[in-house]
Amino acid sequence: MTDKSRKLVAAYAFLLPALAGLIVFRILPVINALIGSLFEIDYGHGGAMRFAGIMNFINLFTDFVFWDSVKVTLLFNVIINPLQIAFALLMALLVQQNTRLNRSFRSFYMLPLGVSITVASAIWAILFNPNAGLVNGILQLARISSQPFLTSSVQAIWCIIIVASWYGISYWLIFLLAGLQEISQELYEAAVIDGSNAWTTFWRITLPLLKRVLLFVIVADTSANFLLFAPIYVLTKGGPQGSTNTLMYEMFTSVFVHSNLPRGLTISTVLLVLMLIVIQFEFRLFSEKERGT
Amino acid sequence: MRASAGQRIVNSLRVLFMSLYAAFIFLPFLWMFSNAFKPNDRVMADLTPLSIWTFLPRPFTMQPVVELFSSGLGRSILVTVAVAGFTIVGGILINSMAGFSFAKFRFPGKELLFSLVVVSFLIPFEAIAVPLFVTIQRLGWMNTVYALIIPALANGLCIFMFRQFFMDLPDELVDAALIDGAGWTRIYSALFMPLSKSACITAGFLLFLSQWQAFIWPLLVASSKDLRMVQVLIAYLTKEEFRVFWNKTAAAGFVVALVPLLVILPFQKYFVRGITMTGIKG
Repeated sequence: MTDKSRKLVAAYAFLLPALAGLIVFRILPVINALIGSLFEIDYGHGGAMRFAGIMNFINLFTDFVFWDSVKVTLLFNVIINPLQIAFALLMALLVQQNTRLNRSFRSFYMLPLGVSITVASAIWAILFNPNAGLVNGILQLARISSQPFLTSSVQAIWCIIIVASWYGISYWLIFLLAGLQEISQELYEAAVIDGSNAWTTFWRITLPLLKRVLLFVIVADTSANFLLFAPIYVLTKGGPQGSTNTLMYEMFTSVFVHSNLPRGLTISTVLLVLMLIVIQFEFRLFSEKERGT
Repeated sequence: MRASAGQRIVNSLRVLFMSLYAAFIFLPFLWMFSNAFKPNDRVMADLTPLSIWTFLPRPFTMQPVVELFSSGLGRSILVTVAVAGFTIVGGILINSMAGFSFAKFRFPGKELLFSLVVVSFLIPFEAIAVPLFVTIQRLGWMNTVYALIIPALANGLCIFMFRQFFMDLPDELVDAALIDGAGWTRIYSALFMPLSKSACITAGFLLFLSQWQAFIWPLLVASSKDLRMVQVLIAYLTKEEFRVFWNKTAAAGFVVALVPLLVILPFQKYFVRGITMTGIKG
């Protein structure tokens, strides 16, 4: 064997285990979801899979539970994504300067990263207790009457938003802080000499230079929130009256509560396509702006 | 330079706002911490009306933590640590090998295969949980540790990280070793791996957290009582057993949060570097 061919064999051999894993456990499931959504289970013949064409999609698209769930998912995302990103950016800007005070605030803001979203949900489940929860206790101090929170079909989704943001903002804050700290201090000094105020400096220097990190945060945050699961599972189970029943949760109940695997795979496909569209849209929107400036 | 009155007001408002947000972040922690060491009847009695005692463990008791371990938390932690341990060892091995190959070899199909890696970490795990569950069922791995470990080993993010790290190591290093007659396996194991301690720590930490915080996946494939991972146990206890035992929920949150915190503190800089790597250098 020549050195060259030996080198080729080595290259592929080093790659093999990890690539095999990625193909079997990451890429193939996507293909399986697409294929699986075209089949139905034939209970007449011992549960064999039978080709069903687009029947699963027709069933899904004529089901009002599905559309309610789409509505909840879109509403939830339209609120939570701008909220989390705006807040994370605001907090990052507030604590970016390397003073001792800011450093201690920063470590406070990192605290949620130490727990998991599941633990966060479990704790907030108690804090939001309508009878004797901490949140109602604080409201009482402000002479506001007790709120039903998770047991109300209006308030439950806001509770999920608060819990997810309590956790999520800290996470995105780290990325934005890292991005801010890569911006050269000299640029800011130059801006001050040119008489630029904080507002103009933000729009003319900070934001354009943060664009790459910000785009990543926006895309990653959207996909995380589209697929949020633990808080809904722990806090509301999709209720009350389906008011927190996102597509992700609907997919879960389809398969693991109603044993309807084809429906679950069909929702899985819809979710993947929907996310692809939204993320594509975000990329378009932000690279468009880049050309404009 | 002396601040004007206006600047001072702006600055106090800034600090006030930062403090309010810090309180929003911190109060749940404080509450969790103090109520993990309180008898259950005091938890509720201290909540209304709100007072300083809401946030202080009085009377102090270890009872909730002790009872928690009799509800299976000890076993759960052991299972999770074991699963995470195998994932870290196996994951570092195969992902660094792949990263090494991408960084130091030229071969046909390299661009295509690398884009496969990138695509794989852009596909969020939750989105493929159901079809992946079907795969695991077909393999007959339901309720086994294989279902928890093997799909978690190959990790696009870790491959990417090792590739970035190895690319920074000079090619002359490889050339010199080849002239000395070293084989590729030897170059990888005796030359590159010992130099990549920080990449290994970062990757190991990412893999550890991915298992310690895993929830939906173990919920789907390993919900049997003796395989419950920590997060699944927490959700189960919160929903089934602890509806009325708030102190135990707080204790469970406290114990489960403590473990990664103990791991994070000494490795904080690697942690931050690890999770920002793809965002900044992508």
